[in-house]
Amino acid sequence: MSLRSWLTHLYPRAWRERYADEFDELLAQCLHSPLDVIDVFWGALDAHLQLLNGEEVNWRMMNKMNKLRTTLLIVFAAFIGFVIAGFSLVGLADDSPMIPLMQTDLPLHLSWILIHAGAVVALLAILIGGFPLGLTVLRQAFTLERGNRGWLLVPVIAFLVLLAYFAFVLLVGSGRIVLPGVVRVVQPGVFPAGNRLLLAGLMLVFVLGAVASTWAVWKAVSATEGEQQTFHPAGRPLALNIYHFAFVPALIASAAMLVIFVSTLVWGWLSFTAFPQVFAGNFGPWLTSTQAWYFGILALMLLCTLAAFYAIGRGRQAAQAE
Amino acid sequence: MSTPEFGRFSDPAILILASLAGGDKHGYAMMEDIQATAGVSLGPGTLYGALARLEQYRFIEALPSEDRRRPYRLTSQGAIFLRQYLTSLEHFVAISLQRLTA
Repeated sequence: MSLRSWLTHLYPRAWRERYADEFDELLAQCLHSPLDVIDVFWGALDAHLQLLNGEEVNWRMMNKMNKLRTTLLIVFAAFIGFVIAGFSLVGLADDSPMIPLMQTDLPLHLSWILIHAGAVVALLAILIGGFPLGLTVLRQAFTLERGNRGWLLVPVIAFLVLLAYFAFVLLVGSGRIVLPGVVRVVQPGVFPAGNRLLLAGLMLVFVLGAVASTWAVWKAVSATEGEQQTFHPAGRPLALNIYHFAFVPALIASAAMLVIFVSTLVWGWLSFTAFPQVFAGNFGPWLTSTQAWYFGILALMLLCTLAAFYAIGRGRQAAQAE
Repeated sequence: MSTPEFGRFSDPAILILASLAGGDKHGYAMMEDIQATAGVSLGPGTLYGALARLEQYRFIEALPSEDRRRPYRLTSQGAIFLRQYLTSLEHFVAISLQRLTA
């Protein structure tokens, strides 16, 4: 056992559960002299005395609350990853021979319906679970002295930029703005470089906006103070632990992500079996490889599903804590 | 607001709050900042003794960490406490200086 590890083990177990990792990292950086070792001895003794004195020690609970919050944030980020993957999947299927095929092939149609149903369930779960948390973030942003109002502007700005770019694309499409190398009407099988660039820009703005907004929401929620909040629906007070409340919807959203992933896998397999030439061709956005898009979408969905379930596993204990 | 009991961690607690008033920091960054601004070298045991108490009083809050270093932030409750403490200190300094010059 190293000196650092030994010193950390001098502290009570409850203290170690909360602080051991970060404390060990600090010792790696600043344990320079015997005086530092003595200082750690005093710190450990103090922590034991706090327990003996019956002081209100809630290291465990604080740790659990932090874990639960991080769990919810990871599930939210995974959901945003699914939104990006979902739009890409719709872009892949649109205008492809798979759409008419789905109208006649029942299993293919059912798998497509299941993808949509999973998306609706995940969205509802995120909205319901995140509602009290969102209200708290908004409330604290405008009432606390150190409220992080700036983070909340990021999703708004990202949405406005996306709208502005979309309007620009529409104006180009309607011929009101003429760009060199961009044609108004794309002929089947021909996709000019200018049009590719224009649509690649739209996707880039969407993805960057989604990533920036997720990051801003992460920062805003991390800065939210207190897990116990009181709301007043219909004028009646309702006390709620906002993180505990959001855990079950986060679990449902994660399960819905798994359903979407499996359905996409089945949908792709059925499409390939029924129409192999579609997968060998270029029916992706901008006439790019269908296979590359499909497997890219699957990989993103798998990554997000694994992240969501890892987070749920990590936060389960925290959610069950009183 | 009731006065919290920081015991032997009273001074380190104030130094930590003042450090976090300048922005979110992890433990080692706080030690460096306190050394640079106040000339006080806090040991690791003292730092975490004070940090744990401050967190219990909700004067500071841990932020999610990407690695083993966990950053902390000053809460609004902590900011209020620090402001009250520094204002009372300012009053005490003014009276003491008046007495010296009298």
